[in-house]
Amino acid sequence: MVQTFYSGFVIPFIVGTSVLFAVIIYKYVRWMVRLPRRDKLKVWHGLFSVATLKGIWECFTECLLHRRIWRVNPLLGYMHTAFALGWFLLIVVGWVETIAYLGLRFVPLQGHIFFDYFTQDMDHGPRWGINFEVVMDVLLLYVLSGLVLAVFKRFRSRAMGMKRTTKLTLGDRVAMTSLWFVFPMRLLAESFPSQLPLWWGYSIALGVFFVAMPFSRYMHIFTEVPLIFLRRWGITSEAGREKSFDHFQLEACSRCGICIDPCQLQRDAGMRNVQSAYFIRDRRYNRLTRYVADNCLLCGRCQVKCPVGLELDTLRLGSRHSLSGTPSNGRFNYACDVDRSRGEGRVGYFAGCMTLLSPKILRSMERIFTAAGEQVWWADRDGGVCCGRPLKLSGDIEAARDMMRINAELFRNHGITTLVTSCPICLRVFREDYNLDGIEVLHHSEYFVRLLSDGRLTLKPGGTEKMTYHDPCELGRGCGIYDAPREVLQTVGTLVEPAETRDEALCCGSSLANMAVENSSQVAIAQAVGRAFEATGAGEIVTACPLCKKAIARGTSLPVMDLAEVIEQHLA
Amino acid sequence: MSAIEWGYSVLPARTMDLDRNDLGPVREMLEEMPQFGACIACGGCTATCTAGNLTSFNFRRVHTLVRRGEYTGAWAEMNKCMLCGKCRLVCPRGINTRGVVRLIKRKLGDY
Repeated sequence: MVQTFYSGFVIPFIVGTSVLFAVIIYKYVRWMVRLPRRDKLKVWHGLFSVATLKGIWECFTECLLHRRIWRVNPLLGYMHTAFALGWFLLIVVGWVETIAYLGLRFVPLQGHIFFDYFTQDMDHGPRWGINFEVVMDVLLLYVLSGLVLAVFKRFRSRAMGMKRTTKLTLGDRVAMTSLWFVFPMRLLAESFPSQLPLWWGYSIALGVFFVAMPFSRYMHIFTEVPLIFLRRWGITSEAGREKSFDHFQLEACSRCGICIDPCQLQRDAGMRNVQSAYFIRDRRYNRLTRYVADNCLLCGRCQVKCPVGLELDTLRLGSRHSLSGTPSNGRFNYACDVDRSRGEGRVGYFAGCMTLLSPKILRSMERIFTAAGEQVWWADRDGGVCCGRPLKLSGDIEAARDMMRINAELFRNHGITTLVTSCPICLRVFREDYNLDGIEVLHHSEYFVRLLSDGRLTLKPGGTEKMTYHDPCELGRGCGIYDAPREVLQTVGTLVEPAETRDEALCCGSSLANMAVENSSQVAIAQAVGRAFEATGAGEIVTACPLCKKAIARGTSLPVMDLAEVIEQHLA
Repeated sequence: MSAIEWGYSVLPARTMDLDRNDLGPVREMLEEMPQFGACIACGGCTATCTAGNLTSFNFRRVHTLVRRGEYTGAWAEMNKCMLCGKCRLVCPRGINTRGVVRLIKRKLGDY
């Protein structure tokens, strides 16, 4: 048998493997060829750089060890590592075993996989001082321990840190069931190597899994590897269009469902089919509806947790652009010559639509500027052009760019060097999409920190009143500003943190990014957020976003204030 | 006859014939988004509107006309909306006004 490495039962395995690699190579080549020229250049530049070495390390820590899953839940991490690392080692050690027993010679693929069958009549004693049989058995047991957990997770996912798991497609179920059969069948076949039916079972389980794999969620096994390298070489998805690179992200999604629990639309508003796992599934299989694409707060809570590190928000924006984007056609030309600014100064203040709707914040800002003796140019005190982020979030990126140009021109015409805004939505678009060379863009929290450290602003220390701080999505996860507002608040009061805070902070529920959500759902989320803050025992909720302020106020009886209002109250 | 400049003029007579207007598109819209019909035409949206502050854009007017099958110009008007979302925050009926804007644009794009 060693001579031919052939028996009828290897056919399902051979067919499965051939289909698997044919499909994968076809897909990868196609996606790579379709990359835009700029991205291809990035690949060439990155190939022989440190980025590749870092990529190899990331492949080891994420594709085999899965550190990011361990962080979600150790049991979940163990389960996945058992499958990935265990199976990987079975293949590698199996390969070494073949060489140890048969020497350095060509052995066809099935010879490695069904080694125990083809070498039944050989002496399986230790070679090179290693007892390969024991090593392979231990590795198989390791994988089987993961399998036991995987089956357990189907019934009690909660025990493994997941309240909800993904609803699987038919293809996923076929692939998963055959995968579950692979390892027990292997154990049985290797335990009774002379029993041909067991080898048939093992081979069929492998064959079915391999055929189903490239069409199911298990495509992530291979796809995460090219994704890691492409990402390391600087290729990203874009909000303004769907790209060939997106396919790598879509098919690297394992639909593990870790994104489902953090989603507030799921846990507070009972929506079960719009989460990132489902959005990516729908887009991958070309059945994405406008409702699913639009129904997302883009709060970024799932993106923080995603074990594959997918750009979930950007992918969704790309889809929105494809589904709803319309050409600009100069439709905002009416806003071109709008200049209702007033005042003179190097420091500009952009209130943004939402602050204009919250006169209290505007008044506080004015008093703070006066107290600090700042000469301020008010960009939009009497109405102005929107920053463009809401339009961008709706998928209308070309029209949004028109608005960005109009505002950027306005800022330049007035020669400001610093631009302060009290709205994180505006802040993010100023930093990410505007071309404001020479103008420093600051959120008002950062500006306050600067005023305080320069001694231009002195505050009365507050009483013992406890306050809690809400991280706005666009400010925290969006711009990475967590400390500035806290630093300011700590000078005037005692700060208590809610259970989920900083990069895990809740969304207020009224995010401008969600184009489809109904009022009742927004209120339900606001109430849940309100309860989370009330549980801290704080007397007031402070936030740093005019929209969050209005949204949270709908869900709690506690007073909700903007950072600027708190500062104003404590002006010395 | 030499006209006298009174400083104002009389608009030509204008009627809305609900029997003649094609209410198909608006029915479709109501079906897709029932909250579209919850508007009480209070005008809060228009009072806060960012675009309305800069032009004659009037969301309440367009919405009211569209509800009665008067679609001419609606799409062009809706294109002025910046989707800033202030109207949604002030709407006493909790209507997803931005959704309405996009719905009107999508349904009446080629009207």
